[in-house]
Amino acid sequence: MMEDDREKIFASIRKGLRQSERYSAERSSKSPLLDKPGPDFLSLFEKFRSELKTLGGEAVSVQDEAEAFELINTRSHANEALFIYEEIKSKYALLTSSLSERKSVKFQPEFSHGYDRHEAAKFKGVVTGCYACVAETGTVILRTAMRLPAALATQLFVVARGADLRPSLDQIFTEDTARFGGSNLFLVTGPSRTADIEKQLVTGVHGPKDVFVIFMKS
Amino acid sequence: MDLRSRQFASLYRHEISNGQLRSNLSKATLQAVDKRAQSFQEVDFPFLQKEARNIKREAISNLNELLSRFEDNARRNGCKIFYAQTPEKANAYILGVAQKFGARTAVKSKSMVTEEIGVVPFLAKYGIEAVETDLGEYIVQLAGESPSHITTPAIHKSRTEISRLFHEKIGTELNDDPAFLTAEARRVLREKFLSADLGISGANFLIAETGDVVIVENEGNARLSTSAVKVHVVVTGIEKVISNFSDLRIFMRLLGRSSTGQKLTSYVSLLRGPKGEDETDGPEEVHIVLLDNGRSNLLGTEHQEVLHCIRCGACLNVCPVYRSIGGHAYGSVYPGPIGSLVTPLYFGNENAPDLPFASSLCGNCTEVCPVGIEIHHQLLAMRHEIKSKSGTSVERFIFKNYRKTMLRPGRYRLMSKVVRALARTSLLRLLMRGWYPYRETPQFPPRSFREMYKSGEIK
Ligand code: SF4
Repeated sequence: MMEDDREKIFASIRKGLRQSERYSAERSSKSPLLDKPGPDFLSLFEKFRSELKTLGGEAVSVQDEAEAFELINTRSHANEALFIYEEIKSKYALLTSSLSERKSVKFQPEFSHGYDRHEAAKFKGVVTGCYACVAETGTVILRTAMRLPAALATQLFVVARGADLRPSLDQIFTEDTARFGGSNLFLVTGPSRTADIEKQLVTGVHGPKDVFVIFMKS
Repeated sequence: MDLRSRQFASLYRHEISNGQLRSNLSKATLQAVDKRAQSFQEVDFPFLQKEARNIKREAISNLNELLSRFEDNARRNGCKIFYAQTPEKANAYILGVAQKFGARTAVKSKSMVTEEIGVVPFLAKYGIEAVETDLGEYIVQLAGESPSHITTPAIHKSRTEISRLFHEKIGTELNDDPAFLTAEARRVLREKFLSADLGISGANFLIAETGDVVIVENEGNARLSTSAVKVHVVVTGIEKVISNFSDLRIFMRLLGRSSTGQKLTSYVSLLRGPKGEDETDGPEEVHIVLLDNGRSNLLGTEHQEVLHCIRCGACLNVCPVYRSIGGHAYGSVYPGPIGSLVTPLYFGNENAPDLPFASSLCGNCTEVCPVGIEIHHQLLAMRHEIKSKSGTSVERFIFKNYRKTMLRPGRYRLMSKVVRALARTSLLRLLMRGWYPYRETPQFPPRSFREMYKSGEIK
């Protein structure tokens, strides 16, 4: 591989910085939000729901896994392939067994390293867990060992628990999160969108058009 | 990069006379300005702006340390780092990576730095097709044009023009519904994502503390360009590094609001190296190309703060000059107020001597800048630099006398009488013939405000 210009660039930076003062920023811990939701689940959920709704997504709170399955089953297209992420299998046994009875369902472990990308593109819907959700912006945070199905699908179903819901981005961008494992963390805020043509909003560009977040009460 | 900023005078004359362009631009920019204002209602903008300015100031004034830290951590995460002083060096490295993986097709997400180095035409010379995957970029690529806005590359094009373009280039039916056109682009690009070996992206931020690359977008194309490929090359400027992961709480609240009026963009990808052993997909290798190309020359100068820019595009939307002439008139990949600084600063005053003058100095840009760059003061300082070296003797005479006039009230009164008298003749029109074809000038009153006030005519 060719030699890079590191030394030359660093010499130029050092030369320039000799003439300028070093500066150290004091960071305020104040939240920039003027209106904060209450700390209880209900206020956080309401905020999350209304933010996501504004963006064209939907958040619902369900009693149990049976209700979660009902929702996924009615909202997804019955004949279209569904991909189920590992966290669903490890956290929600009942939901997993109900889903496995549907037609054309595939589970993450059935794929191994080097799988054909076209396979991932066949799934119209995916069901996944999440790392956290953010009430301030209606965001779900995904950390995944298999990136493509959730990035390619038309419908994204995220199953979350009340404890996953954080009030704001202040709780997300912390030292704790900075230590996340794996190669990726994706913040997903509503459907994929563009306004590149005459500023007219169109949803469902390359990523999911429908984003459903299901909070499990029990 | 095809830099044509020296021809600014002829380029803007051409663009300003295009009525369709001006109507497209004014519609789009005014909408963006409204959305931005609305989106800041829930947050304390002055607080965020101050914090962001301080964090960027810290990052740039400690650039060597932060870059070293970033480099160490990104290497620990498994990334390969390459420093390039020039676009040629960056392109040659990217080509090497592409050849190592035998890539014939590359998917590219939107990035100003990749425009700056001209990686797409460069790879094409070696038979590698680099496809733009952001919708706006895809449109301008099909049209054989360059982007005309930092965040909305096809802002100058109407839906009818785009519909005709798609019909000609990718054979879609003539239909100007944006939803239809977007679906067609998705259909074509999906196949590219599934077959490309190389993904090229920029970066909005590099985090020194963790070695993360942060990419912000709305369509999901950057997520695919960095996930569906065998190898991912990040190309970005050395000034993109910030110190802490937690600093993102400030920038994430500013960037989406400033660029598109969103509280947060649809996708924020925090990428930490290639696919892990327990991961099923993701790139096998991640290369990070850190470009200087004139940036380090700004350190220690009065223009250092220009390196704070996070390329949100807000200053373009509020700029009366940009709104009238659009991005192509600047002849640079960096248009608008920030482009009028960056272009001469990165590529040399001699290559863009007119751009710092493409501003009314109204200060709208400074007001909206999320990182508090004093853009209009910077433009004024650039004008001074350029003219102190290259001004004509007539210009020097005018400005010297203008200064004297502004400093002496008696002289000011006398001169305003002369100008008012001149305004009633056709001489002023003759002297300002560059001004009149495009705008109207209000009638000068026969007497000054001061005279009218003194005589009691106005109270
Ligand atoms: S100068 Fe400021 S407003 Fe303009 S693009 Fe850069 S960050 Fe945005």
